[in-house]
Amino acid sequence: MEHKTVIEPFKIKSVEPISVSTEVERTQYLKDAHYNPFLLRSDNVIIDFMTDSGTSAMSARQWAGMMEGDEAYAGSRSWERMEREVRDLTGMHYILPTHQGRAAERIIYGHLGGEGKVFISNTHFDTTRANIEFSGATAIDIPIAENKDTALQHPFKGNMDVAALDMLLKEHKGHVGAVILTVTNNSGGGQPVSMANAEGVAAICKHHGVLFLLDCCRIAENSWFIKHREDGMEGVTYREIAQRMFALTDGAVMSAKKDALVNMGGFLALKNEALAEACVNLLIITEGFATYGGLSGRDMEAIAIGLQEIFDPYYLDYRIKSTQFLGRKMHELGVPLMLPIGGHAVYVDAKKLYPHIPSNEYPGQALVCELYKLAGIRTVEIGSVMFGTYNADGTLHPAPMELVRLAIPRRVYTQSHIEYVIETFAEIMKRRDTVRGVKITKEPRFLRHFTAHFEPLP
Amino acid sequence: MTTREQREEALKEAGYNTFLLKSEHVYIDLLTDSGTSAMSDRQWAGMMMGDEAYAGSRNFYNLEAAIQKHYGYKHIIPTHQGRGAENLISRILIKPGDIIPGNMYFTTTKLHQEMAGGTFADIIVDEAHDANSTFPFKGNVDLKKLQALIDEHGAARIPYVSIATTVNMAGGQPISLANLKAVRELTKKHSIRIIHDMTRVAENAYMIKLLEEGQGHRSTADIVLELCSLTDGATMSAKKDALVNIGGFLATNEWDVFEEARNQVVIFEGLHTYGGLAGRDMEAMAIGISESVDEDHIRARVGQVFYLGRKLQAAGIPMVKPIGTHGVFLDAKAFLPHVPQLAFPAQTLAAELYLDAGVRTMERGIVSAGRDKETGDHCYPELELVRLTIPRRVYTQAHMDVIAESVQRVYERRDSIKGMRMIYEPKYLRFFQARFETL
Repeated sequence: MEHKTVIEPFKIKSVEPISVSTEVERTQYLKDAHYNPFLLRSDNVIIDFMTDSGTSAMSARQWAGMMEGDEAYAGSRSWERMEREVRDLTGMHYILPTHQGRAAERIIYGHLGGEGKVFISNTHFDTTRANIEFSGATAIDIPIAENKDTALQHPFKGNMDVAALDMLLKEHKGHVGAVILTVTNNSGGGQPVSMANAEGVAAICKHHGVLFLLDCCRIAENSWFIKHREDGMEGVTYREIAQRMFALTDGAVMSAKKDALVNMGGFLALKNEALAEACVNLLIITEGFATYGGLSGRDMEAIAIGLQEIFDPYYLDYRIKSTQFLGRKMHELGVPLMLPIGGHAVYVDAKKLYPHIPSNEYPGQALVCELYKLAGIRTVEIGSVMFGTYNADGTLHPAPMELVRLAIPRRVYTQSHIEYVIETFAEIMKRRDTVRGVKITKEPRFLRHFTAHFEPLP
Repeated sequence: MTTREQREEALKEAGYNTFLLKSEHVYIDLLTDSGTSAMSDRQWAGMMMGDEAYAGSRNFYNLEAAIQKHYGYKHIIPTHQGRGAENLISRILIKPGDIIPGNMYFTTTKLHQEMAGGTFADIIVDEAHDANSTFPFKGNVDLKKLQALIDEHGAARIPYVSIATTVNMAGGQPISLANLKAVRELTKKHSIRIIHDMTRVAENAYMIKLLEEGQGHRSTADIVLELCSLTDGATMSAKKDALVNIGGFLATNEWDVFEEARNQVVIFEGLHTYGGLAGRDMEAMAIGISESVDEDHIRARVGQVFYLGRKLQAAGIPMVKPIGTHGVFLDAKAFLPHVPQLAFPAQTLAAELYLDAGVRTMERGIVSAGRDKETGDHCYPELELVRLTIPRRVYTQAHMDVIAESVQRVYERRDSIKGMRMIYEPKYLRFFQARFETL
């Protein structure tokens, strides 16, 4: 028989207990954390949807690989295995291991960036933007226009605006650090990018002679969407789709903590020797020697195995469909969402959920606090707390969208956990009119969302 | 296991640089004691208790508590390894034109200081540069040198004094408690911080217990705490003393430094409650820190290094005296007196040791010292050493015997060994990737 039920294609060998708390306790925990979930103790969280990064459950095979880690400082066997695997997947020759994705970003964008340089992306993620701006360069986002409308259905809402890219490359001729295509487009709602769009971007980059890089941390999930939504791709395997996309680019940055199903690790892959050599110098100074880059041998083993597991069709089907299950149920409850549902997360449109809270009172942060208080669900604001800036007069220049992300860790939660979240949203909808905003009481210069303090408004 | 022919082939392919050898071609790996320790069953159990939450992982709090308990520092930021912490502290404390005195340079430490615009100044006692001196605390600071730097540049230009326990480049030599106390007094008078490069603090403390007057009755753990208490902050590569394969941290007693580090660590390493480490690795570090100050462990650890050192000494092999705590440092200048420093005697000796029995060691001489950033010429260090670093809890006494026999064999045919020349030289930290040819 054909089953409609999509089961988790694994069983659980080892469990990690959740410590359950009461609403009264959580109210206190939240206060102690200055209303910033990044400052909560993980022990006090029931369902952790803060990120899908580094939170995956590894497989038995990966754990077996961990036991085989070769911890030699130079020339480790585990490194050779990872290098082989990454080369085979990306088709790129120069592979630099890094302790995680942002280190790979810092190395490549630090090298390509600097004062006066411009980077163009479908949407820069927070750490990517921070790395680019830290070097003195400017980061420009050009998602397609459809991306701005959260309610609009579009199969590849993560696409880059190719016409805008062409114009920008003309305008900034000689000053472009790189064009970065992020798949899937995380800050833009976890939306996929089509192969046709990647081909378009590649052609324009080639025409203008600029470097084209892929931020590929969710490349397998992106491949699922291409296979199921793009004409002519049904018969191509997920892995081949990914390989075709890599082939269009000059290099790739990966946080292996997402699609590669590991808790730590990343890499930079490049085709150009001179660029790779410059990057290796920076790698050794700040990360570690070229054959470990700040990773233990066992973690490199786990990455090599994880990169195989992500293209398993049953895994990918479960992964995308379980995310969509949560999204569909929330949609049915009338929760305003970023549509269509992306691959790794459900994004709530907090501006629409709480129309009475203005951007400078951070509706997203208000929802994040509500979810934690009501159910111990930890989520993250992707709106004006993360991306807002200040005008010269000190008023907030808000982010274009006020989203809250429910990022789903891979292979960690079961359907009943998801049902619990859905039940919570029914309550959130009931109380939506009574919720108030928050104000920032303390913030650092960079990446303020990680450490800022808040207070609820009366 | 490899044959001599296979090793010749492998070494040639590696450009006669032991860093570029594949691990599978190495029989006994003495390249480094960093990240190569065997973890304990307790640490492995801790690995299974990893909490991989992005923020507020319980392993972070366990690590924080372990550091506070065993090292006494107030605030901590985990980093993926020691150089991550060096990067942070250099960026935060050093302004262009600053001077950073230290008890001898270390490769990555010095580079991070320079990248932040500072200049390293050596204030170690002269005995440290003399391989034959048997002075027991060659890691000591020469207080006159430090005073002279303060007089010349003014205390305002010295953001901190960098104190390493033990001093790696001097041959794993300890600093005495009395000397560190004197450094504390002097720096206090001028309001200068001490930042502790504490990667082998337990080994240093054990040497104090063994050799320093009036310290024999104390526990190593107690001496470690006192050493830390004489400083204002620390960078640690936990890959040495703390018995883990990956990890490090920045510690400070100053709130402002902590706050700035917490803001910057997000950009370079990861959020401040994981700093680029998996939760399980923070747990392994917390457990490893407590194991590192265990009296039985530290006695066995340093004892094994001494066993090898004494064996080589008895055979008349020239080496840095006294024997270091984490390895035996062969004196390549005396081993190969006919090879001039520009023909890289230590690099050559490391290559020969690999060829003989597949033992991988590391050059710590002119190649590691790099070039003077002003003149562009090689730095010519007094010490031209080959480091036989012993990983913790990995090899047995039988392995030590194999190593000693191999070194003796190479020593017996030393006259036939010729030097090398460098055919590829990277810009930074050249020793990692430089390539050579035999003469």
